[in-house]
Amino acid sequence: MEMYLYIALFAPFVGSLFAALFGASPKTLWSGVVTSALLFASFVSSVTLFVYLLQGGEPIHTELMTWMATGNLYIPFGFVVDQVSATMMFVVTTVSTVVHVYAIGYMDHDKAFNRFFAWLSAFVFSMMILVMSDNFAGMFIGWEGVGLCSWALIGFWYHKESATWAANEAFIMNRIADLGMLIGIFLLYWHTGSLQYDVVFAAVPNLDTSIVTLMGIFLFVGAMGKSAQFPLHTWLADAMEGPTPVSALIHAATMVTAGVYLVVRANPLYSLIPEVGYFIAGLGAFVAMFAATMALVNRDIKRIIAYSTLSQLGYMFVAAGLGAYWVALFHLMAHAFFKALLFLGAGNVMHAMSDELDPFKMGGLYKVMKWTAILMILASVALAGIWPLAGFFSKDKILEVAFSSEHYIIWAVLWITAGLTAFYSFRLIMLTFFSGEERYKEHGFHPHEAYKFMLWAMAPLAVLAVIAGWFEQQFVHFVTELLPTFEFHTHHVEMMLIAVTSLMAIGGIVVAVLLYRNGLLNPKLQQTAVYKLLFNQYYIPKFYDEFFSKPYAELSKIFWKQVDLKVVDATVDFIATTIYKTGEGTHTMQNGNLSSMLRWMVIGTVGLLVLAVLYVKRYDILALMQMVFPGLGA
Amino acid sequence: MMEIGLTHYLVLSTVLFAIGLVGVMRRKNLLMLFMASEILLNAVNVAFAAIGHYYGDLTGQMFAFFVIAIAASEVAVGLGLLIIWYKRTDTIDLDTMTSMRG
Amino acid sequence: MFDHMLSILIFFPALAGMLGFIVSKESIRAYGITVSAIEFVLSLVLWYGYDPSVAGMQFMEQFALVPAFGINYLLGVDGISLFIIILASFFTLIGIASLTETRRVKDMIITLLFLQMTMVGVFAALDAILFYVFWELSLVPMLYIIGAWGGPLRIYASIKFFLYTFTGSLIMLVGMLFMAYFYFQATGQWSFSILEWYRLVLPENLQLWLFVAFFIGFAIKVPMFPFHTWLPYAHGQAPTIGSVILAAILLKMGTYAFVRFSLPLFPDASVFFMVPVAVLAIIMIIYTAMVAYAQEDIKQVVAYSSISHMGVIILGTFAMNVEGISGSVFLMIGHGVVSGALFLLVGVIYDRRHTKLMSEFGGLAQVMPRYATIFGIMVMASVGLPLTINFVGEFLSLLGFYSQSHMMTLLAGTAIIVGAIYMLSAYKKAFFGDVTKEENKTLKDVNKKELVALIPLVILAVWLGVYPKPVLTPINNSVESIVQLMHEKAITPEAKAAIPNPAETKIAMASVTEVEVDVEREAE
Repeated sequence: MEMYLYIALFAPFVGSLFAALFGASPKTLWSGVVTSALLFASFVSSVTLFVYLLQGGEPIHTELMTWMATGNLYIPFGFVVDQVSATMMFVVTTVSTVVHVYAIGYMDHDKAFNRFFAWLSAFVFSMMILVMSDNFAGMFIGWEGVGLCSWALIGFWYHKESATWAANEAFIMNRIADLGMLIGIFLLYWHTGSLQYDVVFAAVPNLDTSIVTLMGIFLFVGAMGKSAQFPLHTWLADAMEGPTPVSALIHAATMVTAGVYLVVRANPLYSLIPEVGYFIAGLGAFVAMFAATMALVNRDIKRIIAYSTLSQLGYMFVAAGLGAYWVALFHLMAHAFFKALLFLGAGNVMHAMSDELDPFKMGGLYKVMKWTAILMILASVALAGIWPLAGFFSKDKILEVAFSSEHYIIWAVLWITAGLTAFYSFRLIMLTFFSGEERYKEHGFHPHEAYKFMLWAMAPLAVLAVIAGWFEQQFVHFVTELLPTFEFHTHHVEMMLIAVTSLMAIGGIVVAVLLYRNGLLNPKLQQTAVYKLLFNQYYIPKFYDEFFSKPYAELSKIFWKQVDLKVVDATVDFIATTIYKTGEGTHTMQNGNLSSMLRWMVIGTVGLLVLAVLYVKRYDILALMQMVFPGLGA
Repeated sequence: MMEIGLTHYLVLSTVLFAIGLVGVMRRKNLLMLFMASEILLNAVNVAFAAIGHYYGDLTGQMFAFFVIAIAASEVAVGLGLLIIWYKRTDTIDLDTMTSMRG
Repeated sequence: MFDHMLSILIFFPALAGMLGFIVSKESIRAYGITVSAIEFVLSLVLWYGYDPSVAGMQFMEQFALVPAFGINYLLGVDGISLFIIILASFFTLIGIASLTETRRVKDMIITLLFLQMTMVGVFAALDAILFYVFWELSLVPMLYIIGAWGGPLRIYASIKFFLYTFTGSLIMLVGMLFMAYFYFQATGQWSFSILEWYRLVLPENLQLWLFVAFFIGFAIKVPMFPFHTWLPYAHGQAPTIGSVILAAILLKMGTYAFVRFSLPLFPDASVFFMVPVAVLAIIMIIYTAMVAYAQEDIKQVVAYSSISHMGVIILGTFAMNVEGISGSVFLMIGHGVVSGALFLLVGVIYDRRHTKLMSEFGGLAQVMPRYATIFGIMVMASVGLPLTINFVGEFLSLLGFYSQSHMMTLLAGTAIIVGAIYMLSAYKKAFFGDVTKEENKTLKDVNKKELVALIPLVILAVWLGVYPKPVLTPINNSVESIVQLMHEKAITPEAKAAIPNPAETKIAMASVTEVEVDVEREAE
């Protein structure tokens, strides 16, 4: 079984190296095919491991080699495949295999085809390290690794200023959060003496609650960055500058869920500190609604989906925060499938529309892109949470969790958000594929359907988006071997809750369909304050720019030009020039004139004599001083 | 009538020394410089002799003789150099002697 | 076989340098490469002969110089100095191999060989006077390199470099003399041997004064804020090779001396001054990182980033525990590799464009993809990405310091943020975007000679990031013995508390491992 573990882990790495070898050369189809094949191998291994565990196999725990060992610190490259990581591996490899195959078509005309696959596979490798590591340091490797790959892939088209800017923003914002995670790791080490999951989780119950709370908070700060929770959320929407397969893989299905994975993985720690859990849940609910509102008015199909991702991540954090870890993981999985599908569909649309992203310029695309439309509608229905698709099962469970643990406000927020979700999803669908007139013709586009094999590549995701929810019972049984179970106290109102939520979702869909069936809304709506607020993302990016980026740059300039050059360096130079000037000023003494030399000699002699007298008489002088200034002391 | 004591000699010596010192500092003529330095030495001689006498110790007077002898030899050498310098440069002004300029 | 190994390592390049005067101009490059390659192989032999399980000094050599005052020619290496010596010979080799066309190549190569003597000497010397001699001698070749081959402001920069560091070293010398005097008072014998000094327990107030005297000398060399201003000038004016050696090796002399002198000689004073030093280190990290962000010249960005990273090294050193000090020693090597490589890379573009202003570049990734890749790897290593060499050092340094202060570690940890800010924005300015300048459209990618210098550094940066063990283990063993010594020597209760006893914590660790689940569980 260990062999499968290593294949699952290293196959993407080999693929990445292979593609990187040809990174600078023009497109070779091979690099795409080989990386995809290797990822398929990784996928097969992951499934094998998954099935092995499903059949009751023992979790696999191996150690490759030592990484760091000094003092008492011992960090190995250790890997563990248990129920949680196997689930994650399954999700990651499934989506990435699909995305790789899809990207062969999508990146068809790109000059840097090979470079793209090198980075994409490198990302999968990092993600696998993240989910498979058996210690926090190893997770941190993956954590930073996915950050690096995300940086490179967001800024993939590096000639575009906006792309490189977004890449740097994503990296730096993640770094802010990573500092939190790093501090969390330090805390873990100094209080438990290890970073291995099993040792740490065995030790935390014996620790002081305040310490555990601190650990929980700092680790969660890390999770906030990767999962783009408020206030570190702005990078995710900007990250849509990257190629669409990247958005599907990294910024929807896998990397952004790493934060949720962290909380789920650290469940023994978070179970001890429910207060932090409530905070996580509260923040999650807030982000769910906050992001959904921004998605309502956006005019960029990828950004709409990105906000939707943000919103769904909020849902997951609600579940994780309230202690329903398996529910969070379940929604993570279901979401990965339908959200990746949605993104890939959006990619098809972009391709058809020559990289146009504004749905206001589309409309009526159903006629030319029937299959894409069907797939996207399927994904949207799943996202909206309509029975019997995946989203229904997972999202409904989260609402149930909130209701069951008597957090009615959170429940209400999520309930309203469910409606908003359905609304913006179908607003997007309507604007793009239906809504009366074919606006794209006015803008001179000639859309076409994507390659057949791209559509076929999306098919597995579509299937999973439909059926993933049906295996809820098996899933619960599987992961609760490792994760704590969650006691639902809502059996009496279960059907009611489901009905209410479903009604909300259906309501959202119906409203969207009705509103947009004949085209755009009245443009006057765009003048309202609410619209402006939402369209400008609550002015948060502007706020960050004005209050963080610009002052930082200004302060840096001041530090350099004013402080470093004019104070620190000038002080040093001042001392040096003072000494130099003293020499300059006194060297006239040595003018060689005998009489002035004699004069100096006399002055020197007199000075020395005076000093000698003072020295001889020093006690008398001191006594005199004490007499004159009695307060001076001895 | 007041007895002439040690103090008077020492005052005389100090006054002479001061005169010599001023001469050394102010005079620009080399010859005058020699004179001034002689005054300095002799001021010390007076003090030596007076203090020697005061303590009834001959060492002071002995030192005075030493000083006279050295002063004489110094003047002999110094005047010789001075004459050569005068022959070469036609001047014995101190301000012209700046070859030791730093 | 290993007798006099260190003497050979020190004086072989110098002797070869002397012989270099009679080598003809045409063959001097080959000669220089050969000599430095032999030296590098010799340093590897040293590593081969080094026993990592022994914590103390190895390859010791002794020869009385001034017996009356206990001044000896005393050499030895331990895990702390071993790798810096290897790094020094490695960088001299790389530096000579990648030397571009310059005026008076012969003088340059001979100077470099002399510089190598002084560098190896500093790290191998165990006698304070010998250490001081090599320490000061190292200024001379560097002064010459900056002054003779530097940019337009070279005279100002080289004089500043020389006088500034020299002033600091003189104060350090006074400290050394006092130390020897106190040793004489305590034992009735003169000695300048550091190992003898280690055994001397000084009263706290003396420790404080001596610590300050040594500190000034070291801090200027590192250079610590606010003594750092000579470095940007030196880097700005120095030729590529000068900057590489300066950043990679010469700066390490300061941090190395902290570990070799300040900590074990004055444990109580070190604990006493820990907070002020840490505050300086934090200012260094954040402030210079911000200054780096404001730079317009890419070489200055690297120069200031180098100062910023030295702050982390200082912080790790003053963590006073095995994790932190091992981390800081490892980071010395990591920083050497990475900043050396970055300076080499800046040199590559300077050779082509004769400017270092980032506004003159832009879009280089399109024109020079290989160059951009290598630069990118080094940027990421500098930013401290896991699995690169710098991460290991930074992680351990910060981890170590965390046991001393939470808040200060949090502040110092911003290094990973501010570091990313200036490095990524510099990379973006130079490599991303469109090629706007006509001259840049025809730039040639890195050639073979440059690759020969850069590829080993890339390999090193990744290899030691993935598998630091061969280097970290010897470092760890030597550091453990130093921490043990400090713990035993400490007299004030604060110092006793702040410096952990490695022997005790080892026992505690053993009980933890028992809890650990058996990882060798068989599959199926």
